[in-house]
Amino acid sequence: MQTQKPQKFNPIGLIIIVLFIAFSINPILGVIGIIAIIFFLKKNPKYLTFYLSNYLQTANKSRGSLTEKNQLILEKTDLIGSTMPLQIPSILFNKTKTRLEKRKKYLHVALNSTLEEAREIISQLPTSDRILIEAGTPLIKIYGTEAVSQIKEMAPAGAYIVADNKCADLAAREVEMMANAGANAATCLGVAPIETIDRFIEECQKFNIDSMIDMMNVESALAILKKLKKLPDVVMLHRGVDETEFSKEKQIPYYQIKQIKGNYGVLVAVAGGDTIREVQRATFNDADIVVVWKNFYQASAETAQLAESFLKEIK
Amino acid sequence: MLNQRSKYLQIAFNRSLDEVRDMIAMLPASEKIIIEAGTPLVKNYGKKGITALKNWWSEKIQKPGYIVADLKCMDRGSREVEAVAEAGASAATCLGLAPIETINEFIRECEKVSIDSMVDMMNIEFPFEILQKLKKLPTIVVLHRGVDENERNKEKQIPHDQIHRIKGTYGNVLISVAGGETPRDVIRTFFNDSDIAVIWRSFYEAPENTANLAQEFLKLVK
Repeated sequence: MQTQKPQKFNPIGLIIIVLFIAFSINPILGVIGIIAIIFFLKKNPKYLTFYLSNYLQTANKSRGSLTEKNQLILEKTDLIGSTMPLQIPSILFNKTKTRLEKRKKYLHVALNSTLEEAREIISQLPTSDRILIEAGTPLIKIYGTEAVSQIKEMAPAGAYIVADNKCADLAAREVEMMANAGANAATCLGVAPIETIDRFIEECQKFNIDSMIDMMNVESALAILKKLKKLPDVVMLHRGVDETEFSKEKQIPYYQIKQIKGNYGVLVAVAGGDTIREVQRATFNDADIVVVWKNFYQASAETAQLAESFLKEIK
Repeated sequence: MLNQRSKYLQIAFNRSLDEVRDMIAMLPASEKIIIEAGTPLVKNYGKKGITALKNWWSEKIQKPGYIVADLKCMDRGSREVEAVAEAGASAATCLGLAPIETINEFIRECEKVSIDSMVDMMNIEFPFEILQKLKKLPTIVVLHRGVDENERNKEKQIPHDQIHRIKGTYGNVLISVAGGETPRDVIRTFFNDSDIAVIWRSFYEAPENTANLAQEFLKLVK
């Protein structure tokens, strides 16, 4: 696997030559050049992991064709992948945790059943920075923070992990726990006391992770947002699984998406069902993040397929 | 499983498992003490945290101990209840703020696996409204002031006046009050006819003092 070096033009060589010339003309020019490069990389840390992402794309393609016997090897390479290459940026800029970008559309895959199944689904998902992987509430309550760190390990290095901890009280403790377990985002209930939500958003900023407010069972998300001291990064419009099962007539309030985005600069996530048409419907209504979860009856291959067609059809 | 006539002291544990083991060892072996695996503990250690608490407490009192898993369930009622019952919990909590369908499902599942159901009324102005909508009553209703609320907003109060009204209307539910931390709060809680008083902060802040604190609070439980 280590022989798979990407045969692409090497920008780093060119940069070094340019810097050398700059230094020989005027040392000050060289210093300015170096500072400019550092700034550039700090803004776009993905260039640092250029080779890594190339490697991962090839490695993940071959992963699907490998049989279960090779699971152990895959785990090992994942481990190496998640610790080694990303050390470079983390040493350089202590706090480069991936954050969500506006103007991009994301697919948010929620994993809720067991860690074994989570592994199966993750191994079939395509690699993309537009796919978010969530450790669902049942997983967190059953396995604890291990659910988050294990999923982080299974996922390709640098993947964006959401801990769906559904915080209702003691926000500071929970955010700290989830951030330390490696989550890039945590969730808090919109029905929680306002003091808790405020505290939650503050703590998320402190730990440099994205804050998501889950508006399940909240009638007007706008009314909650109005009361907050600071805005969260993401607002999630959400219908509970139990609700959906027992009273079908309740609907996801798509019209609220535009209302929220018109008034506040936040990303909006909706639970979009599990077919590509439903996902398209959600993005058509201007949602930034579409949440899908795997049903018990649904093969994990279908989730992977959905992810593939999402990446292809929704830009 | 809880005796309707008795009063109970529920102590919530939120520290690391190692510390909790020592704290449980220091507690007096009284049946009036209920051990709660706090939400942060559940989210940190999962099922194995609950099992550990169950084992330690049962060992201490020499019979199956009563453990509450503070799940604060918001969705997928049945899945979570099943998991904690398997881990050895004797009761689980659900948020009153959850969709009514979830609470109904939660109570049904609790009965199925024969553990007590607790509905946590945090951030709910009129617990009555929720109780009216339910198909079946929970075993225990928890009147609760959140920790973050308490710290930042002193005026809000635990609605002690609700206890009598709930008990008057729905005879056989037990009432638990959470959010008061001082001995005075606990006295007041029991004086207002609550069945269970939940405390955690003093234990969280001074784990080495567990034995004394528990003795002191236990004196208030008649």
